[in-house]
Formats: sequence, structure tokens, C-alpha cells
Amino acid sequence: MKIHSHHFSCMSRGHASYLTRLFVTLTIGLVPLSGNAGAPEPVPGYERAAVVSALCSGKTKQMTAGINDILTAVSNKAEDSGWAATIISALGHKKLRCSKKTGLALLESGDAYQDPSTLSAVTLDGKAPPAPFVNLRVRANLDVADSLLSLIRDPVGDGAEAAVVVLEKQFDNVHVPLLTLALARITDPDLKARLQVVKALKSLRAPDMDERLAAIAAVAENPTERNRTALVTLRQDAAYVAEDPRLAKALDSAISEIDTWIQVGHVGSVLFSGLSYASILFMASLGLAVIFGLMGVINLAQGEFIMIGSYTTYLVQEFLRHAAPGLLDWYLLIAIPFAFIATALVGMVVEATVIRHLYRRPLMTLLATWAISLFLINLVRVAFGTQNLEFIVPSFLEGGTRVTADFFITWSRLFAIVFSGAVLVLSWLLLNKTRLGLYIRAVTENRDMAGCVGVSARRVDLVSFGIGSGLAGLAGLVLTPIYNVNPNMGTNFIVDSFMVVVLGGVGNLAGTVISALGIGQINIFIEPLYGAVAAKIIVLLMIIVFIQFRPEGIFAVKGRK
Amino acid sequence: MTDLDSLIEGRGRSIATQGAAPTVAAVLAGLAVLILVTGMLDTGLSVYAMNLIGQAATFGLLAIALDLIWGFGGILSLGHGLYFAIGGYLIAMHMVKVAFQVTGTPPDFMLFMGWTDLPFYYAFMENFFYVALVIVLFTGVVAFVFGLISFRSKVTGVYFAIITQALVYVAMLLFFRNDTGFGGNNGMTGFVELLGASLSDRNTVAVLCAISILVVALALFGLNMLVRSRFGHMLVAIRDDEARLRFLGYETIWVKMLAWCLSGVLAAIAGALYVPQVGIINPRVLSPELSVEIAVWVAIGGRGTLVGAFLGAIVITALKFLLTAYVPELWPFILSALVVAVVVFLPNGFYDLFEVLRRGARRFKGAKTVEAGE
Repeated sequence: MKIHSHHFSCMSRGHASYLTRLFVTLTIGLVPLSGNAGAPEPVPGYERAAVVSALCSGKTKQMTAGINDILTAVSNKAEDSGWAATIISALGHKKLRCSKKTGLALLESGDAYQDPSTLSAVTLDGKAPPAPFVNLRVRANLDVADSLLSLIRDPVGDGAEAAVVVLEKQFDNVHVPLLTLALARITDPDLKARLQVVKALKSLRAPDMDERLAAIAAVAENPTERNRTALVTLRQDAAYVAEDPRLAKALDSAISEIDTWIQVGHVGSVLFSGLSYASILFMASLGLAVIFGLMGVINLAQGEFIMIGSYTTYLVQEFLRHAAPGLLDWYLLIAIPFAFIATALVGMVVEATVIRHLYRRPLMTLLATWAISLFLINLVRVAFGTQNLEFIVPSFLEGGTRVTADFFITWSRLFAIVFSGAVLVLSWLLLNKTRLGLYIRAVTENRDMAGCVGVSARRVDLVSFGIGSGLAGLAGLVLTPIYNVNPNMGTNFIVDSFMVVVLGGVGNLAGTVISALGIGQINIFIEPLYGAVAAKIIVLLMIIVFIQFRPEGIFAVKGRK
Repeated sequence: MTDLDSLIEGRGRSIATQGAAPTVAAVLAGLAVLILVTGMLDTGLSVYAMNLIGQAATFGLLAIALDLIWGFGGILSLGHGLYFAIGGYLIAMHMVKVAFQVTGTPPDFMLFMGWTDLPFYYAFMENFFYVALVIVLFTGVVAFVFGLISFRSKVTGVYFAIITQALVYVAMLLFFRNDTGFGGNNGMTGFVELLGASLSDRNTVAVLCAISILVVALALFGLNMLVRSRFGHMLVAIRDDEARLRFLGYETIWVKMLAWCLSGVLAAIAGALYVPQVGIINPRVLSPELSVEIAVWVAIGGRGTLVGAFLGAIVITALKFLLTAYVPELWPFILSALVVAVVVFLPNGFYDLFEVLRRGARRFKGAKTVEAGE
């Protein structure tokens, strides 16, 4: 759709600046602020050669005006968007070469040169002239123009989101008619909504007061810090507010609306990350609580069982990378049985060889399991090294969604929450609907009496220890996309897991769930306010105070011991 | 008294009428005098060796302190590093304060924070006797408050152990902070003198080493008397069946409290003797690993024997020192294997080995030992 194909490859310097000045005067009066992109009217005074020479000038004002002219022409369908994209990108990448002396402008294309206006090949004798300097302000305009053009040309492509991100950052420099055109073309509803916000932000300074008020209302519907800053800046601008009495009121209500949503978003994101931490804590401490209830044994190596789960996941990932790269993306799901079984086996071996002999000496199991944790940490350290393991984030866990303001739900954290929810349901079914669960509850309540009616307490111990360890392994699996995985990772979780057991009591799910939620939330809630240390201190103090009143935990199991 | 004794009989290990503790204490006292004399006369052990022996002795004291409450009271603390650290930090504060008064500049870790003066809690710290009083009183108060809260709500056994561990872990996190005035991550170091004596001086090293050994000897002797007294019998009875004792009308909490506070103060004294000899204190003494290691010394040496706990600490420290020098990556494996083996096969630690040997010697008399309860 080439309409103009004039070319002024050679022009005297004075002539060029005259022309530039001429069309700058013309276009400033002509830039339409309402977005009527439909009518294909040629812009009077618009000529490619003139624009190119403006871009060549190296002066901020002229270059900006030149970019604006191109965009206006494109929005009026008076210019080919392909050519516009080529020339904009050439300027940005220093492919547009201009000689200040001769006024010669060239477009570098690989090894050859083209005429910038016609894109026809040009032979060059001697050295190519330098590229005009693009300062930061022009660069911002260039980026915006580049993004807008790429949106117009390919509204559904992969680059669309990146382009929208640029426009969101640089909303002040957005060319409104072209943005309107892009809005009409883009199909993705999410990107479209985001572009509408960009347009609203730009329209905040529109000359029409009603348009401004509408823009303020539209911006308020998108509560982000950036939008808040934009509105607050306007509110503090006395000249702006003075233009219409309604503006101040509209801005105030818009800012307070955004503030509300930002706070909601803040609370939401704290709750969400607390929930994801709690869900990992829950899986780590459920096994601890069941084993403690059953045998009176605290497994100090539970943190290392978490680590074994993570390292098993890593091994599955590496195996798939070599054996079946097509399945690599699904390694996290494929690893579930492996992480569970490997950790459960380690747990059962520990139970059968060590814990079993310490049945009547629970304090000694503390030392024995500490020794096992020391052994496991050093074994892994020797085998894998001390560095953090590298995990691929599976494509289905990449990114997340924005709920409101700065409240993002990341898929990997959501995965941890959903996963532990599933573990909770399965554990409940296991404990309450199966024969094994019945045995576990029976032995927890009264070991000797359960033995009398024919329950093999020792076998129940072994299986429960295996299941409890396996749960820790699963905790290790789900935390791989969220936390660092190294030989010492277990120590970060073990103290919190103890606290969950102390607070929640033993041998029942509800106590573990509630205390995991409580401790997870308190940790995440206090951390940003007073720091991680304070969070731990406060949790510990609360627990010490709590056990004054309920030494057996939140839900004490009524049993006869 | 007779009722109580018959109550104790048959449950757990009864307290031997004749223990090895007085003998060991006497030997240690002799050793202390020997080191003092040879040290002053510039003969005998090197400064390095005396320094090591002095440090090991403080560990021995720490182990005895834990044995009092665990071996006799049945209360396992996995956080005794806390009291050790309190003693260590307080004596370090004393040395820092004295250096500050001499030089007029605060230590580097405070200069980095931009502080020109020491924080308020360094007040009067230049007075050694004040510091000694604070070490005893402050540790006693901390132990008292924590003990009262726990024992009053009848928190015992595994619960108590993991709460003590959580406490020491939290204290470690707190001391890792740089704004506490205790040197943060790097701790406090660069001590020059104590009570006017240069810490690098051979005589000072010999005196510190001898004092450490003497204190251990005193603690061994004193605690041995204590556990043989009526109080000690009460403590062992609490270990074996606290509910029954309470049912019989005894107020058990104050017996436990006294043992607990005494143990804490002894650990703090160990820390105060340790820091001038090693020349540094940092939050790593508060790590849960060190606190568990103290329990490991006691478990390996033998609970409820005092001498066993002391020997356990000395042997394991010496082993660790030698092995980490020659095969550092092997040490954790050896330690963990040792712990599991002792815990599973020798419930009362290596003391059981002596028992087995003694049983062999007295086979004809049909003497038998009973495994100790927790």
C-alpha cells in the first residue's frame, strides 16, 4: 500500500531543515487527538523524504516529531506500516545512516544499502555516513513506536505481550490514534484490557474534560502502584487540577479506590504466600505428627527426608532429560511416585534398623535421628555437592495470573497448595476409611490394648513411618519450583515443622492443618513487617504461651495411656 | 527417706554408693596443679596444648551440666548451647568493654554500624566481679523463667527437648543480626587481656587451663555429693516416675527447677571459661548442632554417671579434633555411625562397656545391672 514514492536522496542541508520545519508546523496542528482511524485521508505535507531527514537531524525535537508524523500517517492509512516499522527499527538499531554534510540518507541492509524512502538498492562509494545519535527521550519514543507498529502488524503474535508491556511502561509517549487502531485489531481479551488502561492513562491529559474524567475512572479500575503514581502526580499538579473543578474530586475518589484495592491485593498476596508455605509445612509435619502420636518419636531427620524428596525429583528430571526429553516438561508429575516411594523406603529402613530398638527410649530417638540427618546431609553433600540444584520450571507452572493490584497467583505456589490439598484428602481417607487407618488410630490411642485385640503394632509402626517419610518426600517435590534445593535445606523447615506438631497436637489431621496454616501465615505475615527473625521469635513465644493452657496441642486426642 | 529409697529401688539405675567421681575429681585437681606449676616454670606442655586441654575441660563441664538434668532428672535439653553462649558472650562483653576503656574506640563490628559508643547494656561491664555476678544471675533468671513456664505446664520429654532446640535456634537467628551489639555473624574476637593479664602470655594460658580443670573437678565433686543427697534421690525419682512422686505428695517442680537452673549456670560458667581461651565467640555456638552434640557427648559417655559424661565430652572432642585435621570429610560419617551404634547397642553409653566388664569380674556374685530409664 505505497502511496507516496518520492525520493530525495540528495538534498542540501538548508533545504532539508526548511522542509522539516515546515512539516513540523503543519503536523502539530494536524495531529488528531480523537481516534478516527477509518478515513484514509492523506496527510497534507507528509513525505517520506521529509520524515527521513527529520529522523536524520539528530535533534530531539525534530526526531520526535518525525516519529510522530510516521505514526500519524500510518493511523490515517496514509503510510505503509511495513515501511514505518522498517525505518523506526533502522533508526533504533543504528541502521539509518545520515550524512550531515551532504544530507545523504542510507538504510543499511545486511552488507548492502538502500534508499530509505523507496527501499531501492543504492550503491555507495566510500565510507557509510554515521548513524544519528538517539538520546534517551527519542529512544523511549522509538520503543513505543516500535511496539505500536508491531501490534498493528501482528496483533496475535508472540511479540504482542512484550509490546503491551513496553506501552504500559511508556504510556506518556503513546500515539493515541495508532493505539486506537491497535485496540481495534487486538483479539486477546487480557491484552486488550491492558491496552485500554494504557489509553486511559494517556487520555488523563486529554483536552476534553469529559474524556479526562472517563479516563480517571478507567484508570481507577486497574489498581496498580504505577496507575496510583500517575493519578497522584496529577492530583499534586495544581495547574492540572485547576482546569476543571470536577477533576480534583474524581482524582481523590479514584486514588482512594486504588488504595483500597492495593490493600486488598497486599492482604491477598500475604495470605496466598502464607498458604503455600503452610501447605509445604503441612506435608512435612503431618508425617511427624502421626509418627509422634504413634511411637512418641520425633524424627529429627524429617527435614532431610524433605531433601531426599527434592533430590529424587532432581534425579527424575535428569533421567528424563537424557532418556525421554519429550516428557521432560512433565517431570514434576512423573516424579511424584518416585519421590514418595524413595523417601518412604529410606524411612522404613531407618525405622527397621534404628528406631525400632529405641521404642521405649524416645529421647534417644532424638539423638539417633539427629545422627541419621547428619549422615544423610553429608552423603548428599559428597554425592551432589553443596550448590543449589537447577530445576526446570515446567511450562504449565510458568508464570501466573494477576488477581488485583500487586497480588499475583503464581502457578507453582498454586500447585503446592492444590497438591497438599489432595494429600490432605487422601490422608483423611487413609486414616478414617481404611483398615490401616483404623489400626493407626487404635495404636495411637492405646498401644497395648490394640496389641491385645490382634493389631500388630510393630507393623503399623513400620508402615506409618514409611508413609510419614513419604509425605515429607512429597513436600520436597512441591517445593522444588519455589525454594532452594541443597543439602542443608532440611534445617530450614524442621524447626517450623516441630512447632506445627507441638501446636497441633498429635495423631489428628485437623490439628496439623490448623497449626500449619497458623504458623505458615504468621511467619509470612510478620516477616515483611519485622523480619524473619522476629517472625520465628514471635511464633516460638506464642507457642510457649499456648502450651501453658493446652499442653497437648489444639485438639488433644482423648486416649488412655 | 526410707520410703523414697525403696521407691527408687528397682526402677532405673540406683545411685551407686561409691562412685568414680571423687577419684576422677582428685586426679583432675592434681592435673590442674601440675599444669599450673609446669606452665609457670616454663617446662612441660606447650602453650598450644595447654590451650586445647583448657577448651576440652570446658566442654567436659558443659557435659556434666547436661548430665545433671538429663542423666539424673530425665529432662533432655537440646538447647544447652544457649547457656554456654550467654556465659561466653558476657565474658566477651567484659573484654570488649575493657579494651574500649583503654583505647577509646569501639570494636570494628560497632564502627561498621556507625556506633561511636558502646550500647547501654555494656554499662559496668568493665568490672569483672559485676560480670561474674551477671553471668550467674542472668543465666539463672533465663533458666528460671523458661523452666518455670515449661515445668509448670508439665511439658516434659520430647516436647521439652524440641522446644529447647527451637529456643536456641531462635537465639542463633537473633545473634546473626548485626544490629544487636554482639558482632552479628562474625561475633566478637580480638580479645587482648583478661584481668590485666595478656591472653597470649604463657602464664595466663596455664592459669586459664588450670582453672578450667579445677572448675570441672569441683563440679564433679560437688554434683557427685549433690546427686547422692536427698535432693539427688528426689531428682532420680522424678526421672523414673514423676506422677507417682507427685501422688505421694512431693512437690516435684522445685526440685526440677533447682537442677535446671544449676545446670544452666554451670553451662554458662563453661562458656565464660571457654571464650577467653578460644579467643572468639560467634552465633555458631548457638547452632542446634552444637547443642545436640552436647547431648551426644553425654549419651556416648553414659548418662547419669557424671564421670561418663565428662569422659564422653573429652573423648569425642579429641576424636573430632584429630579426625577433622586428617580426614575432615569422614568425620560426620564416623560421628553419626558412632551415635547410632551407641544409642542402639549401648543404651548407657560406653559406661555400659565398663559395666559389662565389671559384671564379668563379679559373675559369681550374680550382680546385675538394670538398664536406666530415660
